[in-house]
Amino acid sequence: MALDDPHGRPPEPPGADGTHAGRVAAGVSAFAGDEVLACGRLLSRVWEQAQDTGPTPDPHPTSCPHCRDAVEGLAPVNAATRALRTETSPSLYALVDRIMNVVRAEVRLGRLLPLADPVRDLRIAESAAARVLRQAADAIPGARAANCRLVRAEQDTEVRVTMTLAAALDRPLTERVHQVRRSVLDAAGRELGLVVVAVDITVVDVLETGPTPGPALSVRGGAS
Amino acid sequence: MIEQTASPRLGCDAPDALLAVRAAEGDEDSFAVLVQRHSRSLLALARCMLGNAQDAEDAVQDAFVSAWRRLPEYRHGAEFRTWMYRITVNRCLTMRRRRPPSLSLDSVLEPATGDAWSQPARAAERDAATAALSDALAELDAGQRVCWILREVQGMPYKEIAHVTRSSEQTVRGRLYRARRSLQEAMGPWR
Repeated sequence: MALDDPHGRPPEPPGADGTHAGRVAAGVSAFAGDEVLACGRLLSRVWEQAQDTGPTPDPHPTSCPHCRDAVEGLAPVNAATRALRTETSPSLYALVDRIMNVVRAEVRLGRLLPLADPVRDLRIAESAAARVLRQAADAIPGARAANCRLVRAEQDTEVRVTMTLAAALDRPLTERVHQVRRSVLDAAGRELGLVVVAVDITVVDVLETGPTPGPALSVRGGAS
Repeated sequence: MIEQTASPRLGCDAPDALLAVRAAEGDEDSFAVLVQRHSRSLLALARCMLGNAQDAEDAVQDAFVSAWRRLPEYRHGAEFRTWMYRITVNRCLTMRRRRPPSLSLDSVLEPATGDAWSQPARAAERDAATAALSDALAELDAGQRVCWILREVQGMPYKEIAHVTRSSEQTVRGRLYRARRSLQEAMGPWR
């Protein structure tokens, strides 16, 4: 990203603007335009400490009048900033719908795969088949499919499935993988009519069970 | 139009990385979960950067559509969230270059609650101060503005801001300092 960073102000000469150059603690580097307070602290560090949440082991800023004054200088900015943080977004549902409508209009079929029909005339898009097989894997508690690829096997009417999986560790992995394989094979035959000769599964991640990361919304798709 | 949702349990515990892998293979339902999960914070970012709601929605929509198209090439070098922030920031910067913000932030803000501004008698003062902050933000250079919004409004850690802006943490801290200094000067009359 091209984010140019011209200095907001040129570096100030030592002593200008009430600074006290030379009294900064060793090892602390000043930014361009930084200011040294009368107590010897850098303004940038004082603001950083004040803005960053969490306990600070440094008692100085709370007892120093110069640091307190510097922090109070940001009070109007902080007050107005709180308004930005508390805003709500009434049109979020509509926005999500609009995004997904555009996405669903861009069909990604992938390869066409043979279905097990006598005429050998029926085909299914890989993306559609993968969706069904992922759902079959997801149906097993403690398992979530990641990659799902389908390729033709040696026989023209047969398909090989390669799947990666995130799995919880509350039960033996072999048992869970076996359940996933059975569920995928069942869905492939019963729901899709695919002849699957093999389901190769690799567990690539551990599934953490925790709180939902975000609010759940209902998304209306463009199908009709 | 029919109701179409992802697998009932998909969004509950599936991490972003897993959903991004599925979306890269064309799984729209997984992408829908990612959109639901991240659109709120990205919209807040875009509104701060662009100054009005309509442009912000356009930027976020463009960012997600761009992400959908680029997902097959996405190699998970960065967290999906960081990647989306980067795309959105770039989109906002492009839009700002093409058309300067036309509305003040205060026209799209909800009244804040639970703080010193919440008394009705001070509503007008609050709105004016927010407008002043909006104007001051618009005067910052792009790098400072992005870093300030990501840190002060979004609460993003320095390391992630550095990833989003492709810079070092030290550069981020420097930009933040200069942004705070400029904003402090601009908001001086409100002290």
